[in-house]
Amino acid sequence: MKTENVLEIKELNVHYTTLTTTVVALKDVSLHVGPKEALGIIGESGCGKSTLSYAIMDYLPLNGASTGQILFKGEDLLALSNKEMQKFRGNRIAMVYQNPYSSLNPSLTIGFQLEEVTMFHRGFTREKARETAIETLIDLHLGDAVGIVKRYPHQISGGMQQRICIAMALLCRPDLMILDEPTTALDVTTEAVILDLILELKEKYDMSMIYISHDIGVVNKVSDRIAIMYRGEVVETGDKKAIFDDPQHPYTRALINCIPRSGVVKEHVKLNTIPGYVTRRSAEESGCPFVARCEQKNSTCEEQYGMKEWAENHYTACDRAYATDVPAKKLQVDEGSIPDTGDAEHKNVLELDNVYRYFGHAGKRVRAVDGINLTMERNSVLGVVGESGCGKSTMGHTVTGLYPPTKGRILFDGTDISVSWRKRSPDVLKNLQLIFQNPGRSLNPSFTLEQIIGRPMKKLLGIESKQERRKLIIDILKKVDLGEEYISRKPKQLSGGEMQRAAVARAFSISPNLLVCDEPTSALDASVQASVLNLLVDLQKESGASYMFISHDLNVINYLSDQIMVMYLGRICEYGTKNEVVGSPHHPYTEALLSAVPDVDPTKTRGTIRLKGAPPNPTQKIVGCPFSGRCHRKIGKICDTTPPPKVDISETHYVYCHLPPHEMDIIATKKGM
Amino acid sequence: MNTFYLQLKKSPLAIIGLSILLLWIFAALFGPSLVSYTYTEMDMHNQLVSPGEQGHLLGTDALGRDVFSRIIYGSRTILTVALLTSLLSSFAGIIIGFIAGYFGGLVDTFFLRIMDILMAIPPLVLSMVVLGILGNSTILSLTIIVSIAYTPATARVARGALLTCKNTEYVDAARIRGESNIFIMFVEILPNTIGPVIVEITARFAYSIMMIASLGFLGVGLQPPTPDWGMMVIENKSIIRSAPWTVVYPSLAIASLVIAISLFSDFLSKVMINEN
Repeated sequence: MKTENVLEIKELNVHYTTLTTTVVALKDVSLHVGPKEALGIIGESGCGKSTLSYAIMDYLPLNGASTGQILFKGEDLLALSNKEMQKFRGNRIAMVYQNPYSSLNPSLTIGFQLEEVTMFHRGFTREKARETAIETLIDLHLGDAVGIVKRYPHQISGGMQQRICIAMALLCRPDLMILDEPTTALDVTTEAVILDLILELKEKYDMSMIYISHDIGVVNKVSDRIAIMYRGEVVETGDKKAIFDDPQHPYTRALINCIPRSGVVKEHVKLNTIPGYVTRRSAEESGCPFVARCEQKNSTCEEQYGMKEWAENHYTACDRAYATDVPAKKLQVDEGSIPDTGDAEHKNVLELDNVYRYFGHAGKRVRAVDGINLTMERNSVLGVVGESGCGKSTMGHTVTGLYPPTKGRILFDGTDISVSWRKRSPDVLKNLQLIFQNPGRSLNPSFTLEQIIGRPMKKLLGIESKQERRKLIIDILKKVDLGEEYISRKPKQLSGGEMQRAAVARAFSISPNLLVCDEPTSALDASVQASVLNLLVDLQKESGASYMFISHDLNVINYLSDQIMVMYLGRICEYGTKNEVVGSPHHPYTEALLSAVPDVDPTKTRGTIRLKGAPPNPTQKIVGCPFSGRCHRKIGKICDTTPPPKVDISETHYVYCHLPPHEMDIIATKKGM
Repeated sequence: MNTFYLQLKKSPLAIIGLSILLLWIFAALFGPSLVSYTYTEMDMHNQLVSPGEQGHLLGTDALGRDVFSRIIYGSRTILTVALLTSLLSSFAGIIIGFIAGYFGGLVDTFFLRIMDILMAIPPLVLSMVVLGILGNSTILSLTIIVSIAYTPATARVARGALLTCKNTEYVDAARIRGESNIFIMFVEILPNTIGPVIVEITARFAYSIMMIASLGFLGVGLQPPTPDWGMMVIENKSIIRSAPWTVVYPSLAIASLVIAISLFSDFLSKVMINEN
């Protein structure tokens, strides 16, 4: 006998009416969530994931309208009045949002906000409510639960805030919890801890769960079943193993294959990309939503489109799933090691000699970069990885001259450039370019691409003729896969990926020697990220420029880099070639970082190392090792009192750590990725 | 531009405002050649006639001058001075506000304090005193004084608009390719603050009209016989009971123009600032 589903969505349609047009946000979405089941929903931005969660909670904006059925334990939520809905919302169905900081009221104590929930929904007295709140916080492993309820949201870290939000959702012991990208705003080590916690709580409270994310790795970790959404439709659902091992819909395949993951490196594979981008859907459109970007489309895509059962519990909306001419389903991963390219001429393009960068005044000084020694070889890619606040961006910005170093020397091609941009020669400015994280903010919205890309050419290459510039701009736009027609477009008329490619074009238009890439793909969707990464790889091969590639995403760093540097609190933890750092890490922080990355492949599981607490306050002067407070392999007092020595593992590989060599070897043999 | 038109279509108040404003601009440009009297012409036989009588649409004042003609001629001076004032004060405000905001620190403090001192004196009082001392206001002196009185407010708006753009990455990108500060301020940043700046100019336009009318009313505005709406109100104040039209119509002219511009400016701020 089939058990009753907690949630059953039947042919849900949602559309938004705007000034000019009607946009279809959800189309014929049918899903179900069984008791104690975790359903993961994956899709790129704009695919209707969040709209779905808002529709379930009846939180749609005023211009949104929905039709269909949302059955929660047999009761149709869409038929309920707003007042009746109150009984379910936050009580039987709870929701956790992406940004914990904006979901908590900054002017009320955490305790007060938690108490309100049970006082309203369960009619508790304030005393009883406080008791329940503290009990729940203890379930969430928040050490000092009694102390935390007295604090305000800004007094605790982002990870803690998200745990408070989860606690708030759990207070009424809901039957269904909806989590909308709850860890996207968090660091990878914090994310790992929260994900473990969510899994544990789900068991403990017998909840069902809908987990929404763009990150396949994360969804794999927490869910039993996965639904893939594209442009407002569910295109494939199935058990997570089936989805990963035997994806049927071309979009699912493309999405899985465009994410860099362990073993996927630039030397072996080119990432899969999906041409085009997610567009809005008009009311008239029918057929497969993916047809415009699909490489395997044919005439049946429109007529015979519809959800079909492919295997037990595995449904897909692609007619072509039955076809035999569809090429390889999975990205082939060659697990072999990469030969380290020994460059005969070891010429350094960049040298950092004991560079410091402080912000603020004495007394409240933030040590963003706290003594970095580094050399970068010509024609190589250095991946700089670390969590937010570790000073990786500041280091990149100091190199590009946005601010001069507080102390220390930066040598670029032998020239001392430890000054700000104002004092640098035009030649240095030309050869050192920066690509920013957010392309929407790095391209001036008032100018056309011709003006944006042409300006550095005029300013730094001295090309005065407009015709000549235009010819060069068209060339470079072609290289980044933007057509000639883009020359007169403004950034607003481009998608996120196109903007970032235009930014890459601007940087490459004056052929620099060194390009600092500051998280250039972290604001982009997976498929777009893949195309930008491929582009960067191609351009590097062609131009011979060096990259300093800054990212928090180890998979991306692993894909692109030759050397990897791991930073923590303004200092280097570990430096080495990609094989050395990822293959045989020697620093406990690298080990923790590697273990925290959720793997795309559900068949591979690894134990996560849970780091305690949060990084220390950067305004404090740290005497010993910056990581000692959170280190799971701390050996003793020496870690707090003495700065860790530089330990050379090989000619190209070193760590800063007090651990005795045999312990480091243990880390290395356990292997992260 | 398309959405601008669509949004205009959906807001009747803005349409009313814009229509009245266009009507006044038309009156100022072509009115004088269409009316049958000039602003100094005295109809000696028809003093203080009621509106509609003896060919005087809005009646005549104590000197037999046609009220309608004087209002139409008056729209010329008031619109000219107000337009010049709003442009001039915005121009000065942008330069001062941009320099203060862009360089920050001591430069910012220096300019802000000067602006604070100017702002401490109400604009009306400031203009009144200065114009009173200078005597014999002309269009030029009126424009300059009112512009100075309004510059602190526009400087603050411009500074605020600059600060929202100052820390964006495109400014960083311009810096590390070695652009000059002038270039960054006026080529990179200015076009992106155009929304608030245009809104400020239109709002300032309405304020200027109020100010000029008030100054005229207080007797330090343009000197007779130049037709000035504010002055027309005060000149005929004593006969308001016997000949209310001599006061009511100029007052209505002031009110309609100020309200029309305010309505349109509200709409602009909704469209232009939210869009960016």
